Amino acid sequence: MSLRDRWPPLPRTVHPGAWWLWSLGLATAASRTTNPILLVMILAVCGFVVVRRRGDAPWALAFRMYLFLGAFIVTMRVVFRIVFGGGQGDIVLFTLPEIPLPEWAAGIRLFGAVAVEQILGGFYDGLRLATMVVCVGAANALANPKRMLKALPGALYEIGTAVVVALTVAPQLVESVLRVRRARRLRAGGQKGLRALRGILIPVLEDALNRSLALAAAMASRGYGRTGHVPRGTRLLTGSLVVTGLLGVCAGLYGVMDASTPRYMGAPMLAAGLAVATAGFVIGGRRVRRSRYRPDRWRPGEFAVVASGLATGTLMYLTTRVDPANLYPSLNPLTWPEVGLLPAVAILIGVLPAWLAPPPESTQEPATAEIPAQGTAPAALPVGGPPRAARK
Amino acid sequence: MIRFDDVTFFHAGASTPVLAGVNLHIPEGELCLVTGRTGAGKSTLLGAVNGLVPRFTGGTLHGRVTVDGHATEDRAPQEFAELVGVVGQDPLAGFVTDTVEDELAYGMEQLGTSPEVMRKRVEETLDLLGIAELRRRPLRTLSGGQQQRVAIGAVLTAHPKVLVLDEPTSALDPTAAEDVLAAIIRLVHDLGTTVLVAEHRVERVLQYADRLVRLDGDGRVVDGEPATLIADSDLAPPVVRLARLAGWEPPPLSVRDARRRAAGLHERLRGREPATNTAEPGAARLTARRVTVAYGQTLAVRGVDLDLRGGEVLALMGRNGSGKSSLLWALQGSGPRRSGTVDVGGTDPGKASAKGARALVGLVPQTASDLIYLDTVDAECKQGDTESQVPPGTCRTLLDALAPGIPGDRHPRDLSEGQKLALVLAVQLSSAPGVVLLDEPTRGLDYHAKRHFTETVRAQAAAGRAVVVATHDVEFVAGAADRVVVMAEGEIVADGPTAEVVVSSPAFAPQVAKVLAPWLTVEQVAAALAEEAS
Amino acid sequence: MNRVSVLRINLRTAFVLTVASLAGLSMFFWPLFAPPEPEAMAHSADAPLIFLIAMPVILAVVLAEMSSGGIDPKVLALLGVLSAVNAGLRPLGAGTAGIETVFFLLVLAGRVFGPGFGFAMGATSLFASALLTAGVGPWLPFQMVSSAWIGLGAGLLPKRVTGKAEIAMLAAYGVVAAYAFGFIMNMWFWPFTAIGTSLGFNPAATPGENLHTFFVFTVTTSSFGWDTGRAVTNLIAIILAGPAVLAVLRRASRRAAFGVPVRFETSPRPGGLTPGADG
Repeated sequence: MSLRDRWPPLPRTVHPGAWWLWSLGLATAASRTTNPILLVMILAVCGFVVVRRRGDAPWALAFRMYLFLGAFIVTMRVVFRIVFGGGQGDIVLFTLPEIPLPEWAAGIRLFGAVAVEQILGGFYDGLRLATMVVCVGAANALANPKRMLKALPGALYEIGTAVVVALTVAPQLVESVLRVRRARRLRAGGQKGLRALRGILIPVLEDALNRSLALAAAMASRGYGRTGHVPRGTRLLTGSLVVTGLLGVCAGLYGVMDASTPRYMGAPMLAAGLAVATAGFVIGGRRVRRSRYRPDRWRPGEFAVVASGLATGTLMYLTTRVDPANLYPSLNPLTWPEVGLLPAVAILIGVLPAWLAPPPESTQEPATAEIPAQGTAPAALPVGGPPRAARK
Repeated sequence: MIRFDDVTFFHAGASTPVLAGVNLHIPEGELCLVTGRTGAGKSTLLGAVNGLVPRFTGGTLHGRVTVDGHATEDRAPQEFAELVGVVGQDPLAGFVTDTVEDELAYGMEQLGTSPEVMRKRVEETLDLLGIAELRRRPLRTLSGGQQQRVAIGAVLTAHPKVLVLDEPTSALDPTAAEDVLAAIIRLVHDLGTTVLVAEHRVERVLQYADRLVRLDGDGRVVDGEPATLIADSDLAPPVVRLARLAGWEPPPLSVRDARRRAAGLHERLRGREPATNTAEPGAARLTARRVTVAYGQTLAVRGVDLDLRGGEVLALMGRNGSGKSSLLWALQGSGPRRSGTVDVGGTDPGKASAKGARALVGLVPQTASDLIYLDTVDAECKQGDTESQVPPGTCRTLLDALAPGIPGDRHPRDLSEGQKLALVLAVQLSSAPGVVLLDEPTRGLDYHAKRHFTETVRAQAAAGRAVVVATHDVEFVAGAADRVVVMAEGEIVADGPTAEVVVSSPAFAPQVAKVLAPWLTVEQVAAALAEEAS
Repeated sequence: MNRVSVLRINLRTAFVLTVASLAGLSMFFWPLFAPPEPEAMAHSADAPLIFLIAMPVILAVVLAEMSSGGIDPKVLALLGVLSAVNAGLRPLGAGTAGIETVFFLLVLAGRVFGPGFGFAMGATSLFASALLTAGVGPWLPFQMVSSAWIGLGAGLLPKRVTGKAEIAMLAAYGVVAAYAFGFIMNMWFWPFTAIGTSLGFNPAATPGENLHTFFVFTVTTSSFGWDTGRAVTNLIAIILAGPAVLAVLRRASRRAAFGVPVRFETSPRPGGLTPGADG
């Protein structure tokens, strides 16, 4: 295939894992700096890519919610600093009356002098956390959650299926709740609030549980739960790997938290434990023999997305080693944040998926197909072709 | 293909068997119809084919069930997936995923079919069932008929040799039922699939059946030629009962066959008029003018005028989504109404309190069980009395009149469909409304329950109430309704006496009318013939 | 049949679950245990980030271990449907998006279907809910683990208690669970949130001092009020709807015929049988 065939990329769904790795790369980059200019650049990159590459599904709208959440985090952080964190800093803006709390409150005092350094410190910190949260929000908006479930590893197959079922049933339950609530008026059941819970919950629950039995029968007769025979040896191996790995994890955690243990008992031990447990997990997953319909494949588009995210993260991490000065703008003395070339380039690499990733497919059917509008009552949906009813 | 050898099945702890000494052999490529009353063991028989009975339900199975030589005793139901496809009563409840394409592929994923083969089979199945244009639609937005076809497609992708269907058309309107049946017939003809189908609406399937399996309710199973077995069955559809009257041997199974033999009967009925309900309907109990219901931008009911008179049973017909339910809810006052007026004895139920509206107009919604939330029948009746502010025992008395002999300590969810309907109706009638609206009450009722329900409806009208029944069931309408209103796209397109409206419509004509118009029911013909004899 | 254990936990699974829970708990409470020596700062600065990776892995391993024998389709469908109900109940709960949930159905289902089911349902309901509301993030594994513990705990409550005492016990457990969930999720979030203020996590302080600061943090920030709201909701919901919901769940469990013996008898059927109507 020549480049001409591949460019521009044709619309298709991008593997959700690619978006997640990309966003984790950006989040890592954000975690390495408190420089507001760099953080705002990361926010802009996230926003731009989301706007260019999100689909028209409901979850794609979640990004806005994350922006609000980010704003909330920054505000809270600044307010916290004003209320609880008085004192540090030379450039005092104003002074609020100080309220000392009693002894039991660990000598915490409220309000007092409010310094610029203090507010900016809170703002920088809050912005860093907010940016990381918004990066996660970008992944939520870009990655298709249902595809994500399809990509779950074999060992989590059953749990994944339970979640698939939950996602399928949830909208039906919402309809069921609406129906029952409406029907309650017919019996003039006048209770409100929690008292009405019983009259609504019981019919909905009965309905749902009946459904679960029918569903179970349908699943069993369609071949769900056909697992291959697992030899005793493999079972033993899986079990011992999982157990050893978890013990390793515990030891590693102890090492991380207890400074008196040698360093290798810390993070390395933890990582080793996780690796062993994961090995057991992967081997255990082999018992599930099934195939996937139209699986999301890792193609150049996915690799480009991941590469750009990881490059951003890695370059930023390298900057902390080489030239950390501009990443943490000084508050004491207070200086204007500056941007180095390397971190700026690192972040700009993260925007490449806006062009390199394939655009999403539209879920809208061609205009000729009949699509009932979402959110209308089912009874209002026209079904079938032209009127076929009796005419007199 | 399917073989039952001396099969007896007991539920765990039960002393009487559901199936007793069943011997059955269904050869490859046959379409076999299973009939029997509610609770006669139809579902048990169907479930035994792939081993869900007893592996899933628990219990003890004596004897042997084999499909294509494989005994259910030796393999789990999962292992039968490539051999037996099972479609349950409510297709929506059996869906694992939420879009058409994913659902078709789900079974194959479980079987480990390779992606290329899956892709090909999904496309083939979409075409075979005529649902290609639905491939990306969310399953819950499909109509009942479409859902049923997707459910069939979802088991077909595994290429089973046997297809087992439990009540595939019971909940569907006539046109949707025809679509589903056409798809099934095509499988039998083109793919040679062996089909085992249980159905209450015998009249829809009988003409296509190669074999009839009849469960008599005592655990025994009889099978044979449809024409011979149906002749003396109490579940016989109208054409067969007509044949009994006219003495046709063997009875015709389809309207077409009956029509070809009806010349003599036409002759005998010449000059006679079908007896109709001659009682003059009373005064208007409910007057609705220019009622409009809208959900957002979608108009469900467009400016409907309707008068409901006491003593009259009105059938509200029309395909799914034509606005029947929305109209009923708007008339009762609990549903939204954008404009127009409803007047019941000088009061507008839409403006009255819930209690007030309930005393004016009683509505039994489509899913009647939505109204049931207590754990015994007695508790529900007591609650009904309190809600209606009537003396204790009123609701229970009503219930005993509608469906005698329901134990008071029974859990309402364990009742049969007919009994559940009676319970909800009793609760709604306890506040003595002058108008009763019933939304799709005949769903899931077998012939007996339906006949009983017809009497109930007539009795309510005789008591002076105005009764409205929204339904797809043309046979029920022919037997119970005085007047028929047909809705399409939120408007009334036909309104008149039952005989006039129904006979002229291909979709809503009952079987007898298709053979002997203007006669609507076997009972009318029987009465006329009896008169002739005397 | 008061309770069935539909997702059995064998000895190996129990061991894995215990070890993983210990590891999990320490990943919540590390600020308290983090050593006071200054050089430990180097260790613990990255600790939260390491845990963000470790927690999902541990959770995945435990869930895989629990389902390693395959889950019966009836149990799986029940798990999916109840998770959907629970995820749907979530927006009805007091509070705002994100951390809170109503545990009332989880507690009741854990009670009826046993600890294994409770654990799995706690995890799957929050997962489903996060997917439905696009709330997937590093916090999700921690929320899943905490609510899984709540389901597990509900399944482990004493079996013999019945009637009113049972409802009282479950309601009390619901209250404790609501506070515990709020407390533990706050603890997880604390090091990220209040750092740099006098309410913040201070790696140089002793565990006792940090716990004290944390307690003040919980009380002074509004989270305590939210937890109380959730606890009261749980309490009222369990008292008002608990008996009915328990009855519905137990009925479902009976109808699903969990553990009802399945027998095939190829021998001729018992003689002298008079066929009669049934079912």
